Amino acid sequence: MNRAGVEDFLFYEAELLDAWETEQWATLYTEDALYEVTSPACEDPAGADARNTLFLISDRIDRIRGRATRLTKKTAHAEYPRSKTRHMITNVRVTGGEGDETKARANFAVFRTKEDTSTIYMGEALFTLVETANGVRIRHKRCTLDLNSLYNQGRLTIIL
Amino acid sequence: MALYDPVREELVKADPEKGSFRVHRNAYRSAEVFEQEKQQIFAKCWLYIGHDTELKKKGDFHARRVGGRDLIFIRDKKGEVRAHYNTCTHRAAKVCRERTGNARNFTCPYHGWVFSSEGNLVSQNAQTGYAEGINADKHLDLRSVDRLEQYRGFWFVNYNPKAISLYDYLDGARDQIDALMDQTEGQQIILSGEHTYSIRANYKLLCENSYDGYHLFPVHASYFDYLRDQMVGTPGEGLIDKTLATYNSAGCARSLGNGHAVLDSFVPTGRPVAQWLPSMGADTKDEIEARYANLVSRMGEERAKYIAECQKNLVIFPNLVINDILSVTVRIIEPESENKIRVTAWAMGPDDESEQLRALRLDNFVSFLGPAGFGSPDDIEMLEICQDAADHTPIEWSEISKGFGKAEDPLYAEGAPDDEIQMQAYWTMWDRVMRGIDTLETR
Repeated sequence: MNRAGVEDFLFYEAELLDAWETEQWATLYTEDALYEVTSPACEDPAGADARNTLFLISDRIDRIRGRATRLTKKTAHAEYPRSKTRHMITNVRVTGGEGDETKARANFAVFRTKEDTSTIYMGEALFTLVETANGVRIRHKRCTLDLNSLYNQGRLTIIL
Repeated sequence: MALYDPVREELVKADPEKGSFRVHRNAYRSAEVFEQEKQQIFAKCWLYIGHDTELKKKGDFHARRVGGRDLIFIRDKKGEVRAHYNTCTHRAAKVCRERTGNARNFTCPYHGWVFSSEGNLVSQNAQTGYAEGINADKHLDLRSVDRLEQYRGFWFVNYNPKAISLYDYLDGARDQIDALMDQTEGQQIILSGEHTYSIRANYKLLCENSYDGYHLFPVHASYFDYLRDQMVGTPGEGLIDKTLATYNSAGCARSLGNGHAVLDSFVPTGRPVAQWLPSMGADTKDEIEARYANLVSRMGEERAKYIAECQKNLVIFPNLVINDILSVTVRIIEPESENKIRVTAWAMGPDDESEQLRALRLDNFVSFLGPAGFGSPDDIEMLEICQDAADHTPIEWSEISKGFGKAEDPLYAEGAPDDEIQMQAYWTMWDRVMRGIDTLETR
């Protein structure tokens, strides 16, 4: 994939999230997918492994779907009433990949307003995208945050 | 906070005959009460600072805020664990600006004073001007906390030089720490990584929530939905509802003295320590069963069963939570004000477990716990709506009566998992310490 193709896809993912189409969002992930967010104080966020270091989020496909479904429910109290979000995706770079795979990086800033409090989650996302018969899918998405803690944000209950 | 009375004489009202236990909401929302707590609670109780395994090598340190005071938790170059105040004895600057690292010395960035890892002033970075022997009485060495003691690797500080020992303070909570540390023949260690987040709520609301069996079904309905969905078509299907049906009869809440208490319960999440469930995957079954057999041989059948199968939510008064549930979390609650807290949480696990079991333990952790899990954020939302409502309504009392009045002494009581006897123990201790009835000092 070229940069423009990756951008179009990432903008589509962001659009689904801002519209709270979470279950539709989950369909963008492959059966062997991994969606991760490293802990803010992580020393090596690009190299860390959730199998031996505590992450904020490390979801394989079952939990990606579980997260998506949970967020549609009123009993997901942390997101009820739902917050408003705006995903900004910039500085998209294709960094490699072979065959049907494309590796890409993008900077992100996600704004979240819950009741009358607004916060920002900013950082970089590392993607492995794969072209399938059904369109582009995400095999791996790792978000690393430019934060040292969530003291300002409180929690992370939206999808980045 | 002008809407409310200033500090009241009586913030906790207990009437055992009527089975009534009430806490005045000023205890959660009043800045004046919080000021008193800094003096009475946080300057007199033992406060957790960190675990021995976080200081692996000589010189390893963590800069931590404990009870409002900035400390350097360090293993000095001789191997001794210390807790220094993070301030230069010259003109106050922080001598350590990193969160964690390894150091032989700390050099104050302002005027270049140098302190050893033991806290000794080794240089004032000046050839002239100071009288000889100005530090003969050591008053210019880094100041250390009055008391620093550990129990099975859990280090605590106390800012009162006359405080009772940590050993005595922990009372019945020692047995709970034993149950955790005895899970392995090896060593329980704090694992890599931490969760650091904040909650707009009083610190005691999170303590209450951390061992509250009563909130489980309303607050965590979406988590149990998720577990059910995961088990459809597996041998574990139906297990959730079967176990949850006996939740209120299978376990208990027990207060352990000095305001500490534990909730013992049975929830079918599986436990990497030694309780295997189909949802944990076939590749971990043999190891978990071997660990259980090892537990039985070391501890006997009854204790092994308790260690392996019972989920334990422990609160050590006033602000340490150790939840040994689907994973183990050590969580400290640092109050910033009457309605804002910082939370730091770590995962703990045995150093002799396999890579698969370690991965499963951490996966369990993030599935429910932490600021992005499927459980804790819903708890956090509850605490924030409690705080917001207490702050902005004039209602005076919260009702914490469930299961009250059966025991002679609320500090050593027992009740059903969804009773509130653990909170009654906490508040009874809080009231005694706040009013100076219990000084927690040696006689």
